Amino acid sequence: MARRKLKFDVESRGLVEYADDEPSAFASMLGGLIEANVRTHPEKQNDFDSLKARVGIFVTDIDEGVTLNFTGGQLVVHNGLEPHRTLTIRTDAETVMSLSNLKIGLFGLPVYYDEVGRGVAAKLIRGKLKIEGLLPNVLTLNAVTRIFSVQ
Amino acid sequence: MAVKAFSDEWASQFKDEVNKSPVYKAAAKGWKWTVGLVVEAEPDKHFPEAKGIVMDLFDGEARAITVGTAADAQKCDFVLTAPYSRWKEVATKQLDATKGMLQGKLKLKGDLPTIVRYTKASQEMTECTTRVAVEWPDEN
Repeated sequence: MARRKLKFDVESRGLVEYADDEPSAFASMLGGLIEANVRTHPEKQNDFDSLKARVGIFVTDIDEGVTLNFTGGQLVVHNGLEPHRTLTIRTDAETVMSLSNLKIGLFGLPVYYDEVGRGVAAKLIRGKLKIEGLLPNVLTLNAVTRIFSVQ
Repeated sequence: MAVKAFSDEWASQFKDEVNKSPVYKAAAKGWKWTVGLVVEAEPDKHFPEAKGIVMDLFDGEARAITVGTAADAQKCDFVLTAPYSRWKEVATKQLDATKGMLQGKLKLKGDLPTIVRYTKASQEMTECTTRVAVEWPDEN
Protein backbone atom coordinates (compact mmCIF):
# COMPACT_ATOMS: atom_id res chain seq x y z
CA MET A 1 0.00 0.00 0.00
CA ALA A 2 1.45 3.38 -0.96
CA ARG A 3 2.33 5.85 1.77
CA ARG A 4 1.68 9.50 1.27
CA LYS A 5 3.65 12.09 3.19
CA LEU A 6 1.57 14.84 4.69
CA LYS A 7 1.69 17.94 2.49
CA PHE A 8 2.47 20.40 5.26
CA ASP A 9 5.22 18.22 6.66
CA VAL A 10 8.01 20.57 5.58
CA GLU A 11 10.34 20.18 8.54
CA SER A 12 13.52 18.14 8.23
CA ARG A 13 11.93 15.06 9.73
CA GLY A 14 8.63 13.62 8.55
CA LEU A 15 6.56 12.86 11.63
CA VAL A 16 3.32 11.63 10.12
CA GLU A 17 2.64 9.46 7.12
CA TYR A 18 -0.57 8.00 5.79
CA ALA A 19 -0.85 4.36 4.82
CA ASP A 20 -3.67 4.99 2.39
CA ASP A 21 -3.60 6.93 -0.85
CA GLU A 22 -6.78 8.70 0.24
CA PRO A 23 -6.72 9.16 4.01
CA SER A 24 -10.19 9.56 5.50
CA ALA A 25 -11.16 12.94 6.95
CA PHE A 26 -10.87 11.41 10.42
CA ALA A 27 -7.40 10.02 9.68
CA SER A 28 -6.23 13.39 8.31
CA MET A 29 -7.64 15.20 11.31
CA LEU A 30 -5.98 12.96 13.90
CA GLY A 31 -2.68 12.88 12.00
CA GLY A 32 -2.75 16.65 11.57
CA LEU A 33 -3.63 17.19 15.21
CA ILE A 34 -0.81 14.98 16.51
CA GLU A 35 1.71 16.49 14.11
CA ALA A 36 0.81 20.03 15.15
CA ASN A 37 0.91 19.07 18.84
CA VAL A 38 4.34 17.44 18.64
CA ARG A 39 5.85 20.25 16.56
CA THR A 40 4.62 23.01 18.83
CA HIS A 41 5.11 21.33 22.23
CA PRO A 42 8.66 20.08 22.81
CA GLU A 43 7.51 18.23 25.94
CA LYS A 44 5.42 15.93 23.71
CA GLN A 45 8.43 15.12 21.55
CA ASN A 46 9.94 12.70 24.12
CA ASP A 47 6.74 10.68 24.30
CA PHE A 48 6.44 10.68 20.52
CA ASP A 49 10.05 9.56 20.06
CA SER A 50 9.77 6.68 22.51
CA LEU A 51 6.23 5.45 21.87
CA LYS A 52 5.91 2.16 20.04
CA ALA A 53 2.31 1.04 19.90
CA ARG A 54 -0.60 0.44 17.54
CA VAL A 55 -3.59 2.37 18.79
CA GLY A 56 -7.03 1.96 17.27
CA ILE A 57 -9.69 4.65 17.64
CA PHE A 58 -13.20 3.79 16.52
CA VAL A 59 -15.88 6.49 16.56
CA THR A 60 -19.12 4.65 17.17
CA ASP A 61 -21.58 7.31 16.00
CA ILE A 62 -19.92 7.86 12.62
CA ASP A 63 -18.87 4.22 12.22
CA GLU A 64 -15.31 5.15 11.31
CA GLY A 65 -11.98 4.21 12.75
CA VAL A 66 -8.27 4.69 12.35
CA THR A 67 -5.15 2.90 13.51
CA LEU A 68 -2.28 5.02 14.76
CA ASN A 69 0.95 3.09 14.39
CA PHE A 70 3.58 4.82 16.54
CA THR A 71 7.01 3.50 15.65
CA GLY A 72 9.25 5.61 17.90
CA GLY A 73 9.60 9.03 16.31
CA GLN A 74 7.17 8.46 13.49
CA LEU A 75 3.45 7.85 13.12
CA VAL A 76 1.71 6.00 10.31
CA VAL A 77 -2.03 6.59 10.18
CA HIS A 78 -4.21 3.88 8.64
CA ASN A 79 -7.84 4.24 7.62
CA GLY A 80 -9.86 1.73 9.64
CA LEU A 81 -8.84 -0.70 12.37
CA GLU A 82 -5.77 -2.75 11.52
CA PRO A 83 -4.91 -6.01 13.32
CA HIS A 84 -2.44 -6.43 16.21
CA ARG A 85 -3.43 -3.31 18.10
CA THR A 86 -1.99 -2.56 21.53
CA LEU A 87 -5.01 -0.49 22.55
CA THR A 88 -8.38 0.18 20.99
CA ILE A 89 -10.57 3.09 22.05
CA ARG A 90 -14.24 2.89 21.09
CA THR A 91 -16.44 5.89 21.80
CA ASP A 92 -18.54 8.64 20.22
CA ALA A 93 -17.27 11.75 18.43
CA GLU A 94 -17.92 14.05 21.37
CA THR A 95 -15.81 11.88 23.69
CA VAL A 96 -12.96 11.70 21.18
CA MET A 97 -12.90 15.50 21.37
CA SER A 98 -13.00 15.34 25.17
CA LEU A 99 -10.05 12.93 25.22
CA SER A 100 -8.01 15.45 23.29
CA ASN A 101 -9.04 18.12 25.79
CA LEU A 102 -7.84 16.23 28.87
CA LYS A 103 -5.40 18.33 30.85
CA ILE A 104 -2.06 16.81 31.77
CA GLY A 105 -1.18 17.18 35.42
CA LEU A 106 1.53 16.16 37.85
CA PHE A 107 3.95 13.44 36.70
CA GLY A 108 2.48 13.68 33.21
CA LEU A 109 -0.76 12.01 34.24
CA PRO A 110 -4.07 12.95 32.63
CA VAL A 111 -6.30 15.00 34.92
CA TYR A 112 -9.58 13.22 35.64
CA TYR A 113 -10.86 15.52 38.40
CA ASP A 114 -11.78 18.63 36.39
CA GLU A 115 -14.99 18.97 34.32
CA VAL A 116 -13.58 17.38 31.15
CA GLY A 117 -11.79 14.63 33.07
CA ARG A 118 -14.87 13.77 35.12
CA GLY A 119 -16.90 13.56 31.93
CA VAL A 120 -14.41 11.14 30.38
CA ALA A 121 -14.22 9.03 33.56
CA ALA A 122 -18.03 8.88 33.77
CA LYS A 123 -18.24 7.64 30.19
CA LEU A 124 -15.66 4.97 30.96
CA ILE A 125 -17.68 3.81 33.98
CA ARG A 126 -20.96 3.81 32.02
CA GLY A 127 -19.42 1.85 29.17
CA LYS A 128 -19.79 4.68 26.66
CA LEU A 129 -16.01 4.77 26.39
CA LYS A 130 -14.41 1.37 25.96
CA ILE A 131 -10.67 0.83 25.97
CA GLU A 132 -9.58 -2.63 24.94
CA GLY A 133 -6.13 -3.63 26.22
CA LEU A 134 -6.20 -0.98 28.94
CA LEU A 135 -4.95 -2.93 31.97
CA PRO A 136 -1.57 -4.08 30.64
CA ASN A 137 -1.05 -0.81 28.76
CA VAL A 138 -1.92 2.01 31.14
CA LEU A 139 1.45 3.70 30.60
CA THR A 140 0.96 3.53 26.83
CA LEU A 141 -2.50 5.07 27.19
CA ASN A 142 -1.06 7.90 29.29
CA ALA A 143 1.63 8.57 26.67
CA VAL A 144 -0.93 8.58 23.86
CA THR A 145 -3.13 10.93 25.88
CA ARG A 146 -0.21 13.33 26.42
CA ILE A 147 0.57 13.36 22.67
CA PHE A 148 -3.11 13.71 21.77
CA SER A 149 -3.97 16.43 24.29
CA VAL A 150 -4.26 20.00 23.04
CA GLN A 151 -4.32 21.41 26.57
CA MET B 1 -40.29 35.87 12.12
CA ALA B 2 -38.20 33.76 9.76
CA VAL B 3 -35.36 35.39 7.84
CA LYS B 4 -33.83 34.35 4.54
CA ALA B 5 -30.99 31.87 4.90
CA PHE B 6 -27.53 33.45 4.97
CA SER B 7 -28.92 36.98 4.49
CA ASP B 8 -27.82 40.12 6.35
CA GLU B 9 -30.89 39.74 8.61
CA TRP B 10 -29.91 36.13 9.36
CA ALA B 11 -26.35 37.26 10.24
CA SER B 12 -27.71 39.91 12.59
CA GLN B 13 -30.01 37.45 14.40
CA PHE B 14 -27.24 34.85 14.56
CA LYS B 15 -24.92 37.40 16.16
CA ASP B 16 -27.60 38.28 18.72
CA GLU B 17 -28.08 34.60 19.58
CA VAL B 18 -24.33 34.12 20.06
CA ASN B 19 -24.08 37.15 22.31
CA LYS B 20 -27.09 36.03 24.37
CA SER B 21 -25.48 32.67 25.13
CA PRO B 22 -23.72 32.40 28.51
CA VAL B 23 -22.45 28.97 27.44
CA TYR B 24 -20.68 30.46 24.43
CA LYS B 25 -19.33 33.37 26.46
CA ALA B 26 -17.69 30.99 28.93
CA ALA B 27 -16.52 28.38 26.42
CA ALA B 28 -15.00 30.91 24.00
CA LYS B 29 -13.03 32.84 26.59
CA GLY B 30 -9.60 33.48 25.08
CA TRP B 31 -10.71 32.96 21.47
CA LYS B 32 -9.21 35.69 19.26
CA TRP B 33 -9.45 34.50 15.67
CA THR B 34 -11.80 35.15 12.79
CA VAL B 35 -13.95 32.34 11.42
CA GLY B 36 -15.26 32.11 7.88
CA LEU B 37 -18.09 29.87 6.74
CA VAL B 38 -18.15 29.20 3.02
CA VAL B 39 -21.60 28.19 1.80
CA GLU B 40 -21.13 26.61 -1.60
CA ALA B 41 -23.71 27.18 -4.29
CA GLU B 42 -26.32 24.56 -5.13
CA PRO B 43 -28.38 25.97 -8.01
CA ASP B 44 -30.75 22.99 -7.95
CA LYS B 45 -31.63 23.94 -4.35
CA HIS B 46 -32.31 27.57 -5.38
CA PHE B 47 -29.01 28.67 -3.86
CA PRO B 48 -27.28 29.82 -7.04
CA GLU B 49 -24.20 31.66 -5.72
CA ALA B 50 -21.69 30.81 -3.03
CA LYS B 51 -21.70 33.05 0.03
CA GLY B 52 -19.21 33.68 2.80
CA ILE B 53 -20.05 34.37 6.42
CA VAL B 54 -17.31 36.29 8.20
CA MET B 55 -17.38 36.08 11.99
CA ASP B 56 -15.27 38.43 14.07
CA LEU B 57 -15.21 36.59 17.39
CA PHE B 58 -13.23 37.77 20.36
CA ASP B 59 -13.02 36.46 23.91
CA GLY B 60 -16.54 35.06 24.10
CA GLU B 61 -18.21 37.82 22.12
CA ALA B 62 -19.34 38.04 18.50
CA ARG B 63 -18.13 41.53 17.54
CA ALA B 64 -19.49 41.26 14.02
CA ILE B 65 -21.04 38.66 11.74
CA THR B 66 -21.38 39.69 8.11
CA VAL B 67 -22.38 38.06 4.85
CA GLY B 68 -20.11 38.54 1.86
CA THR B 69 -18.42 36.51 -0.81
CA ALA B 70 -16.77 33.12 -0.42
CA ALA B 71 -13.42 34.88 -0.96
CA ASP B 72 -14.10 37.10 2.06
CA ALA B 73 -14.66 34.05 4.27
CA GLN B 74 -11.59 32.26 2.92
CA LYS B 75 -9.37 35.04 4.28
CA CYS B 76 -10.33 34.20 7.88
CA ASP B 77 -8.04 32.38 10.34
CA PHE B 78 -10.36 29.37 10.37
CA VAL B 79 -12.49 28.40 7.40
CA LEU B 80 -15.28 25.84 7.31
CA THR B 81 -16.55 24.93 3.85
CA ALA B 82 -19.61 22.93 2.84
CA PRO B 83 -22.38 23.02 0.26
CA TYR B 84 -25.62 24.85 1.08
CA SER B 85 -27.54 21.67 1.91
CA ARG B 86 -24.92 20.54 4.45
CA TRP B 87 -25.12 23.87 6.28
CA LYS B 88 -28.89 23.51 6.26
CA GLU B 89 -28.49 20.08 7.89
CA VAL B 90 -26.29 21.66 10.59
CA ALA B 91 -28.72 24.52 11.21
CA THR B 92 -31.69 22.14 11.44
CA LYS B 93 -29.86 19.73 13.78
CA GLN B 94 -29.76 16.91 11.25
CA LEU B 95 -25.95 16.98 11.25
CA ASP B 96 -23.75 17.48 14.28
CA ALA B 97 -20.92 19.84 13.31
CA THR B 98 -18.25 17.81 15.17
CA LYS B 99 -19.28 14.61 13.43
CA GLY B 100 -19.49 16.51 10.14
CA MET B 101 -15.86 17.60 10.52
CA LEU B 102 -14.65 14.10 11.43
CA GLN B 103 -16.50 12.70 8.41
CA GLY B 104 -15.21 15.39 6.06
CA LYS B 105 -18.70 16.68 5.39
CA LEU B 106 -17.56 20.07 6.68
CA LYS B 107 -14.05 20.87 5.49
CA LEU B 108 -11.91 22.71 8.01
CA LYS B 109 -8.88 24.88 7.36
CA GLY B 110 -6.95 26.27 10.30
CA ASP B 111 -4.91 25.25 13.31
CA LEU B 112 -6.38 21.93 14.49
CA PRO B 113 -5.26 22.03 18.13
CA THR B 114 -6.90 25.44 18.55
CA ILE B 115 -10.23 24.35 17.08
CA VAL B 116 -10.20 21.16 19.16
CA ARG B 117 -9.45 23.19 22.29
CA TYR B 118 -12.61 25.21 21.63
CA THR B 119 -14.89 22.29 20.72
CA LYS B 120 -17.49 23.33 23.30
CA ALA B 121 -17.61 26.88 21.93
CA SER B 122 -18.06 25.66 18.37
CA GLN B 123 -20.81 23.28 19.48
CA GLU B 124 -22.63 26.11 21.21
CA MET B 125 -22.20 28.33 18.16
CA THR B 126 -23.88 25.60 16.11
CA GLU B 127 -26.69 25.54 18.69
CA CYS B 128 -27.07 29.30 18.19
CA THR B 129 -27.65 28.83 14.45
CA THR B 130 -30.49 26.42 15.23
CA ARG B 131 -32.25 29.13 17.27
CA VAL B 132 -32.63 31.45 14.27
CA ALA B 133 -35.88 30.84 12.39
CA VAL B 134 -34.90 30.49 8.75
CA GLU B 135 -36.71 30.60 5.43
CA TRP B 136 -34.85 28.09 3.26
CA PRO B 137 -34.76 28.79 -0.48
CA ASP B 138 -35.40 25.17 -1.43
CA GLU B 139 -38.56 25.04 0.68
CA ASN B 140 -40.41 27.90 -1.04
